[in-house]
Amino acid sequence: MSAIESTFVPERRRSVRSETVGLGRLLGPLDVVICCGSGGVGKTTVSAALGMAIAAAEDKRVLVLTVDPARRLATALGIKGIGADPVRIPKARLRRAGITINGELEAAMLDMKQAWDRMIERYSPDRATAQRILRNPLYQRITDSFVGSHEYAAIEALYELHDAREYDCIVVDTPPSRDALDFLEAPTRLTDYVGSRLLSLLSGGPSRFGFRAMNYAAAPFLRLADRLLGAEVLAEVSEFVQQLQMLYEGIQGRARSVYRLLRSPQTGFVVVTTLEHGPFTEAEFFCAKLSEFKMPLRAMVVNRVLPDLFRDPGGVAAATTLVEDPKVAAWLSGELQMKVSADTARFVGRTFLTRNTLAQREARQLSKLSRLGEVPIVRMPLFSEEVSELEGLVRIAKAL
Amino acid sequence: MGPSSVNGGTSSPPVTPLRFWRPSTAVRRAVAGERIDLATLLERRVIFVAGKGGTGRSTLTAALALLGARAGKRVLAIDVDAKGDLAAALGSPPAGFAPRVVQHDLSVLELRTDESFQEYLNIYFKVPRVTRLTPLARIFDFIATGVPGPRDMLVVGKIAYEERRKEPDSGTPVWDLIVVDCAAGGQMESHLAAPKAMLTLVRGGIIRAQVEWIDALIRDPRRTSVMLCALPEEMPVIEAIELHDRLRNGSGVGVDLCVLNRAVDEPVTAAHRRLVAALIGPEHADVVAEHLGGSPAPLEAGIDLQAHLYDTTARYLRQLRGRLPMPVVPVPFVVDRTGLTTTRAVADALSSRLA
Repeated sequence: MSAIESTFVPERRRSVRSETVGLGRLLGPLDVVICCGSGGVGKTTVSAALGMAIAAAEDKRVLVLTVDPARRLATALGIKGIGADPVRIPKARLRRAGITINGELEAAMLDMKQAWDRMIERYSPDRATAQRILRNPLYQRITDSFVGSHEYAAIEALYELHDAREYDCIVVDTPPSRDALDFLEAPTRLTDYVGSRLLSLLSGGPSRFGFRAMNYAAAPFLRLADRLLGAEVLAEVSEFVQQLQMLYEGIQGRARSVYRLLRSPQTGFVVVTTLEHGPFTEAEFFCAKLSEFKMPLRAMVVNRVLPDLFRDPGGVAAATTLVEDPKVAAWLSGELQMKVSADTARFVGRTFLTRNTLAQREARQLSKLSRLGEVPIVRMPLFSEEVSELEGLVRIAKAL
Repeated sequence: MGPSSVNGGTSSPPVTPLRFWRPSTAVRRAVAGERIDLATLLERRVIFVAGKGGTGRSTLTAALALLGARAGKRVLAIDVDAKGDLAAALGSPPAGFAPRVVQHDLSVLELRTDESFQEYLNIYFKVPRVTRLTPLARIFDFIATGVPGPRDMLVVGKIAYEERRKEPDSGTPVWDLIVVDCAAGGQMESHLAAPKAMLTLVRGGIIRAQVEWIDALIRDPRRTSVMLCALPEEMPVIEAIELHDRLRNGSGVGVDLCVLNRAVDEPVTAAHRRLVAALIGPEHADVVAEHLGGSPAPLEAGIDLQAHLYDTTARYLRQLRGRLPMPVVPVPFVVDRTGLTTTRAVADALSSRLA
């Protein structure tokens, strides 16, 4: 273990409000644990570590459903690769890495395309409709670019897995959206889109929304769109949305069930964030939205926190003298009986003061978390999540 | 060919016929030795600054804009995300859809789809902007939500439109350089790929001709390029590499440069280590603590962290350089918060690395 690890990793001091039960025990009784947060905060790693902590705390069959784009999680879990089919993480391998699992731990990778295709097949009134939609060139592009399409696919996959009851607990690593809220809003957005009056209006055909009146309002747009894009495009779009509308009933029903699941007392959200301004603001906003949607926030994981050591007043005073006192190098040379240059003294002071500035900023951010009320907050020290092998992941799981 | 062979680039590049060949980045790197000089970079008409969220995209975009203005160019900085980060990095209050002058030769603009749409209709279809277009805009918004292309196209279209804009009296371009703070990751690619996508979708209509010239602008590496941003962390580095690969295979946009932001580039030396060891050693501890005004014990952690970050930076720099054919430039970590002071520091660093 290198010097830096011994300095930073063992810091397992708990949060602002200390919570004595580990997150594994706290979240273990739940059926579904959803990890949210902005991209780049270490969500995937935290999800995997949470799954591990839960499987260690409870005799449960745990699945980690990840969207890890770089596939490094597979490496970290000590397996070759994670596919759409769940892969079991061998207990012996985990034990060698330092953690004993009471239950079972499996991991699966979310396959967006598969999730969407299955959804279309499920909600289509008949096979022919499903085939027509799947073959439509617009379909593929929509699944890629519809706002929240990845989030919806993740929710669908989660719902199906939960419904199948093969696992006692499913930990979901949500897709790295631009806006973490996309995950919560995806089902409504999709239902609204497919069920929208505008859509039926564009689809041109008769619909239960009374298209005649609306068609009149849209006429200038359709004329303009015609000039802009040419008639073929409009025809293609209109055909596609017509097909999509046949799925409305199914999608609407599912969206309702999905929201029930997300609000269930057996579901818990874990918000993962760093103390950087952007992700932190988004995390706060997300927590507020969760309570607005009446979805249960169970814990907050604050990742990459600088150790308290960097706010030590003695250290700050010593470092400041090293940086600011012009005579300090000469004094040190005499006292320590070694050649100390002014640059060397300043460098040693400056490296500490830089981190001190950041640590203070982080402390101010952390204190804002008291607004969240009684939610357990777990601080993960800097670097412990630079995980490239199982041991690293185990270390985090234990810290959680 | 060294930097000296390229002159300062005080005038805007002449409008020459499109040239689709230029020495490959690999060749230029071999010739120029890991370098692209600032003047060459600033000769582009449009530079897209792209990278994962949190990599300091807005600050780097703003820094590039400052450097352009310093080189005497009329610069427009465009914020695609419209969260106000770019304006803040230039020390300006949030801008609007109309370019806001933030300093001499430098303006900033925030893109908003509905306003883009209105402007588009106004310019090409003479639909007056004063007219209440809300129902129309709503329908557009709705289509654009479901059908990929139009919304991305408006973003790229607005950028291309600004690139083409001429002063009414002199006929010279309004902007010499446009720097774009792209939306995070995938969205930026759909923006750049939008013209190509639209061309496969739209076979007729007025839009086709417009899309064609926009596509030509984006794919001309002499006029348009991408600057990638990464951090010395695993995911941002991987994403920068993947983004580069996809850009190369997908939209055909040239990538000039990759910036490794927040690089920790001062190594910890044996002299630093010796000093720390002596400072915290038991024989001097008390007298040192008294003279310095506090116990120096925590300073060791600062040095350890510095050494760790330096190693991490070096490792990711090697990884990026091994995987990317274009120059990778480290920009040092600036402790201050985002704002003009930080942007200036980053601009200075970028300029000295590209000198």
